[in-house]
Amino acid sequence: MTALLKRTAAALQGLVTGLGVTFQNLARPKVTLMYPLEKSNVSPRWHGLLALPVDTETGNDKCIICFQCERICPSRCIHIEATGKGKERLLTRFDIEMDKCQYCGLCVEVCPTEAIVFIPHYEASTYNRANLLYTLEDLHRAAPKEPVARGILA
Amino acid sequence: MRSLRTEELILNMGPQHPSTHGVLRLIVTLDGENIVEVQPDIGYLHSSVEKMMEHRNYTQNIALADRGMDYLSALVNEMAVIRAAETLAEVPVPERARYIRTIFMELQRLASHLLWLGTYGIDLGAFTAFLWCMRERELIMDLFESVTGGRLHHVYFRLGGVNEDLPPGWTDRCREFCHYFLNRLDEYHQLLTGNPIWQARTQGVGVLTRDQAIAFGACGPVARASGLAWDVRKSHPYEVYDRVDFQVPVYTEGDCYARYLVRMDEMRESTRIILQCLDQMPPGEVRAARVPLNLKVPPGEVYTRVESPRGDLGIHLVSAGGETPWRVKIRAPSFVNLHALTEMMRGWKVADIIAILGSIDIVLADVDR
Repeated sequence: MTALLKRTAAALQGLVTGLGVTFQNLARPKVTLMYPLEKSNVSPRWHGLLALPVDTETGNDKCIICFQCERICPSRCIHIEATGKGKERLLTRFDIEMDKCQYCGLCVEVCPTEAIVFIPHYEASTYNRANLLYTLEDLHRAAPKEPVARGILA
Repeated sequence: MRSLRTEELILNMGPQHPSTHGVLRLIVTLDGENIVEVQPDIGYLHSSVEKMMEHRNYTQNIALADRGMDYLSALVNEMAVIRAAETLAEVPVPERARYIRTIFMELQRLASHLLWLGTYGIDLGAFTAFLWCMRERELIMDLFESVTGGRLHHVYFRLGGVNEDLPPGWTDRCREFCHYFLNRLDEYHQLLTGNPIWQARTQGVGVLTRDQAIAFGACGPVARASGLAWDVRKSHPYEVYDRVDFQVPVYTEGDCYARYLVRMDEMRESTRIILQCLDQMPPGEVRAARVPLNLKVPPGEVYTRVESPRGDLGIHLVSAGGETPWRVKIRAPSFVNLHALTEMMRGWKVADIIAILGSIDIVLADVDR
């Protein structure tokens, strides 16, 4: 009889200890995120989607058509075409195949004018693979409205 | 009385089996519940990284090493590839960059071992371990993210340094994390080390003797659990490992429990290395000037090794003098450790397959490359 009582007491003690941990954690701040409703904040250096910011003064992007990003890209997913010579030089095509992109950031690193930047956005999924070909208009539209200053931000 | 007649049964585990940690197929020959032989069938994740490296220059290969090799220790792979090229081209590396590299490699080791501990816990039925380890790993991922911009694939190391300096306040965050993590490590010990179920599943299971470990060329925690004191960080120091004080944990039992203990001790030592590096780190440049992104490496041949979380990761690089390597051979630690599997498995029961396989800590991208 005493043995049974002792066992019951031990079991109850274990139960109370275990539930104590549960209730302690109820009071603690949670570590998870309700993802589609809440979005996590990414760091300023985040390797997210790519964009071509538009210069507010000239109304055009800062690309000087030097083809450095096209050359450094390990998966060869940037395609640039241009027409004209000298001052008349015009960017006619700037396509990024986002399905091939591996977000390594080498294009952002080599760009001499900071014309191609990362944006803190990480939702690129789509139902159609053709949507992942980002054209010049898409890259302009994706650009943040404020000027991006990489390197100054922490 | 007639004796019971038994016959051997061949069982396929995988390639789509959650406990094989990737696409590994195990051909298990069974006698009842006893294992007669286990043959691993690899090659399902072959991505021909070595060949692809021949078509990319050395900077582009950093991005490839992140993904194509051992994806759980991306920064250590970057270091392996870079170290080979830097040794051959004799690229100077600033002091601060060396310290930053060491800190990041050790953080990567923590992240990799935490993922191993979590998944090994799931393999053996301890689900809490997985949640706790993921919680701490997430903090490491956040530390990575604020410096490199990536969580798993960083492309942070460059020939002659690292890409960007640490953001302000990062060292304090890192130091805070280290002290927090040491307490959490004690918690893991309380949860698992004395746990009778954990001990029953791992102690004495899958023994690899010291001679066998040497014969199979085992490396990393698998070798150190078998009494082989072999650590590339001690024997062939690179970066600043010769300037920090750390122990190499060695156990002689050679069973799954010893492998678990080796990794637990390694996490403590890694934290110590990070704290020492943070104290010693000098200010200054993080990237050598005049190292072009399309560096031409002089003709020659070099073999360099680094200590990955899985063991001795070697790169044999042959350069013909161009912008791209002529040939790269990767000596993958997971591949070598997987060899020892057949010997460890012999004579155990079906349920122990998972315990033994999990204790080697293989990454199939590293096995197949």
